[in-house]
Amino acid sequence: MISLRTMTGPSRPSGDRRLALALPAAAILVALALWPLVQLGSMSLHEVTAATLNRDWLFIGLENYTRLFASPDFPRAVGNTLVFVAVVTLLGMVGGFAVAVAVSSPTRGASYLLGMMVFVWALPPVVNGSIWKFLLGDHGLLNEAIRALGGSPAGIGFLYDPQLALWSVALVNSWAVIPFNALIFRAALLAIDSEVLEAAEMDGAGPWQRIRYVLIPHVRATATVLGILTVVYAFRSFDFIYVMTAGGPGTASTTLPYLAYVEAFLRLDYGQGAATALIALAVVIVLALFYARDVRRSEETS
Amino acid sequence: MTQNRRRRSMMLAAIGAAGILALTGCAAGDTDGSPESTTLTVWHYYNTDGQVEALQKLADSFTADHPGVDVQFEYVPVDQFTTKAVTAAGAKTGPDVLVYGASGTYSLAEAGAIEPMDEWWDAYADKDQFPDGVMQKVDGKLYGVQGYVNLLGLWYNQDMLDEIGGEVPTTIDEMEAVMQKAVDAGHQGVTLTGKPGFESQWQGFPWFTSHGFSYGDPQAKPMADTFQMLQDWVAKGYLSREASTWDQTVPFQQFASGASAFAVNGNWQIGAAKEASFAYGVAPMPISSDGGVLLGGEVQNIGAFSKNKELAQDFLKATFFSVSGQLTLLDYFGSIPARADAASDAQIGDDPILSVFTDIVQQQGRPSPSPEVPSKNVNEVEGLVGDFWSKAVASDGAPAQLADDLMTQLVPLLKG
Amino acid sequence: MTTASGTASGTASGTARRRRREPVAFGVRLVLWAVYGLPLLWIVLTSLKSQGEVLTSQASLFFTPTIAAYLEAFGDPALASSMRQSAIISVGTTVVCLVLATPAAYALARVKNAVVVGTLALLVILQMIPQTANLIPLFWILSQWGLLNTNLGLVLADATLFLPWAILLLRPFFAAIPISIEEAGRIDGAGTLRAFFGIALPLARNGVLTVTAIIFLVSWGEFLYGITFMLTPSNYPMSALIAVQAGAYGIDWPGMMAFAVISAIPVFLVYVFSYRLLRTGLTMGAVK
Repeated sequence: MISLRTMTGPSRPSGDRRLALALPAAAILVALALWPLVQLGSMSLHEVTAATLNRDWLFIGLENYTRLFASPDFPRAVGNTLVFVAVVTLLGMVGGFAVAVAVSSPTRGASYLLGMMVFVWALPPVVNGSIWKFLLGDHGLLNEAIRALGGSPAGIGFLYDPQLALWSVALVNSWAVIPFNALIFRAALLAIDSEVLEAAEMDGAGPWQRIRYVLIPHVRATATVLGILTVVYAFRSFDFIYVMTAGGPGTASTTLPYLAYVEAFLRLDYGQGAATALIALAVVIVLALFYARDVRRSEETS
Repeated sequence: MTQNRRRRSMMLAAIGAAGILALTGCAAGDTDGSPESTTLTVWHYYNTDGQVEALQKLADSFTADHPGVDVQFEYVPVDQFTTKAVTAAGAKTGPDVLVYGASGTYSLAEAGAIEPMDEWWDAYADKDQFPDGVMQKVDGKLYGVQGYVNLLGLWYNQDMLDEIGGEVPTTIDEMEAVMQKAVDAGHQGVTLTGKPGFESQWQGFPWFTSHGFSYGDPQAKPMADTFQMLQDWVAKGYLSREASTWDQTVPFQQFASGASAFAVNGNWQIGAAKEASFAYGVAPMPISSDGGVLLGGEVQNIGAFSKNKELAQDFLKATFFSVSGQLTLLDYFGSIPARADAASDAQIGDDPILSVFTDIVQQQGRPSPSPEVPSKNVNEVEGLVGDFWSKAVASDGAPAQLADDLMTQLVPLLKG
Repeated sequence: MTTASGTASGTASGTARRRRREPVAFGVRLVLWAVYGLPLLWIVLTSLKSQGEVLTSQASLFFTPTIAAYLEAFGDPALASSMRQSAIISVGTTVVCLVLATPAAYALARVKNAVVVGTLALLVILQMIPQTANLIPLFWILSQWGLLNTNLGLVLADATLFLPWAILLLRPFFAAIPISIEEAGRIDGAGTLRAFFGIALPLARNGVLTVTAIIFLVSWGEFLYGITFMLTPSNYPMSALIAVQAGAYGIDWPGMMAFAVISAIPVFLVYVFSYRLLRTGLTMGAVK
């Protein structure tokens, strides 16, 4: 193990030395995360199917990509992905923060509530998705309630109306994500000095103003991270789509990650699936660069 | 401060120790079988209680004759099955026996997860009992045999038909007339699968072939007619639009709960049907002579990287390929034996439901995957057709337009 | 009654003031109880129904409850082994992941240079790789290292899966610690390791414990790697048992929900225990 004893104090920053703390993580990431990513890229440039996986791969350049762009389902998948990401991110972030504020009071009820929510979050998507499939079905609770309130007797096709299917799954996915965001936000909120809050109160700030001028600025760093993580999660989420609609009806709720899954596992075309996954990743690269730049800037000013 | 630090380091040490213990204590992770026993691993994707029980029975009868052998059944979800098998083959490992879906034959063969079985099959005494339709061949070499077939039939609710005064239909028109009566009486006409993916291709096959579609000569019009039929059914209330999210389980559960006059579903639902509180029956699909019903079901072969190939062969001959094995599967699972002698067993002939299915096999059965589809595009074709079936059920487009879109993508795939 | 106030210094006057009504928050909490409690209730209810009743009484609370699904679940021979497997894998994954992520998060919080910025971007990108895309390469690597069908292999795969996420989550907690405290420590002669273990880690305890609980929860539920990298059924984690219920040939609704409930109990226990830890940790880990 490298000796990390620094020689002097602040005049010689041990920045480089401290990076060594990240070495073990880096090592495992290179082996088990970076290399697969490289493989993914390689697969996307070759014709790799289940049949040809164990033979020499035929190099086809960007053909997987052009085939993807030319596919009639591609524009819809892109649109669906953007809608999906927007809904899950917005609701997940706003909802998570709102919940965190709502449960930040130290009552036991609030703790139980958050506990139950995190418990629900931790359940497998196949379970959560299946339950919502029941709740949103033609004879499910929601439609029965709507019927009881005088709504349409045929029931609303939450999961089979081509216009609604994607939104329904996106809403359920947001629901699934909020407890996690709330938990993290809450940890950040709790780190806020109570004296700052009390000072604000004594200055006459009402609850909404306290939220705006004290709480929100204080959780900015956390919010940035959570925002990025939520966007990334939304961009690659497909479990709920798989369980609830299978990308359907037809391809009405197919997003890019779901399409990648279908191509790889159901059509057994790994090269094509890799290309689709990497296209979605390309968008995230842009976001990642924004995040890194934002981090750098915010820390230069702090 | 020192106290905290000591407590911290103790905590870390404890965590570290626990971690190391956890990992090393179970680094191997395998069950330690007795040293003399041989283990046969069988990969499959069966998941219902009946199927699991059947597997256990087969294993028990085999181990009774082969002491010292331990048969382990490993469930692999159907979506991951082919990928896991071919990836394992790439890593030069794999199970002793594979029980897989027929549309995966080509990939498994090409990837080297399974090997040709011509040699040991030709030496098999009972091989003539198996019809050609259950032989899975790639490039003329035998890569798997189906021990049983699963297929679709038209389940009907006898009590409901009596109530509404309907007869068991033999044509689509007759069926629509009966469904109209059912709807008028406040019931559903039919339940079927409409989920995107290969299951819908399987469901749709009888109907679009009945309208004159064939993979050998793909035309848009028969497809458009089929999609029109589906949309008419939805519009008239015979079929729920929700079907576009259903796999094969939910439609039958709905039928078994008495909600629908008909269900297009398979023989393996025999067990589930017993939950029904009404009289029911099965009839051949009311399709035209052009139409056919795909003979599905799983294929069996030994793994290319099995360390006990002879034993694996014996296992298959004693279980999936034997009369008693196939009848066991029939008992627990409702699957129609592939062997002629097993299929003509009195058990089947006497059973009103099973005998109908064997008739369907004879009259309407077609091999799956369809031979006219190029092997390397089988998965893609099945998924594509299934997706469009789903779109039709959900009314996500006009029938003619959907058919044209389908042909645009399908024809290149069928050319190979 | 003095509440174990969620802030660093729970003054008595603060407690009194907090007792007033907060109608909006109350309303939000009510909605949340409904929106999260209802599905949870449905899961439990479904596990008590018979297969046929699941569909016929989709929206109803009235049915004849039966524990058949639970009896069947407990009778499953794989239950004990899969639970043991889940425990081993989750604990192992959590330990490995946290041991690697915490120093890395600290380093990335404290060091400011181009390498760090690039690394952060890379961590975000690594998160984007769908799990399914990793299956084939990871299978190969694990088989090369002889780690297929082993708990260690699965732990490494899972830990790597959650590592970028854990690092990104932990980093803000370390970044929030005022640098002055560490500088003071350094003047006292503390080296990097001491600064990390003795100063930063205790102060970030709040976040570290939260992330630990989270990683445990998600690794308990992980199933794709488990079902792919394990080649014998006795090595499958509990999540596989739930997945079996929804297969090609049918979906056993009561069975799935029963297994989900059973699988959630150990998690629930750990969660309750760690929650208390979290709350007491809050009052002890005073920034002051």
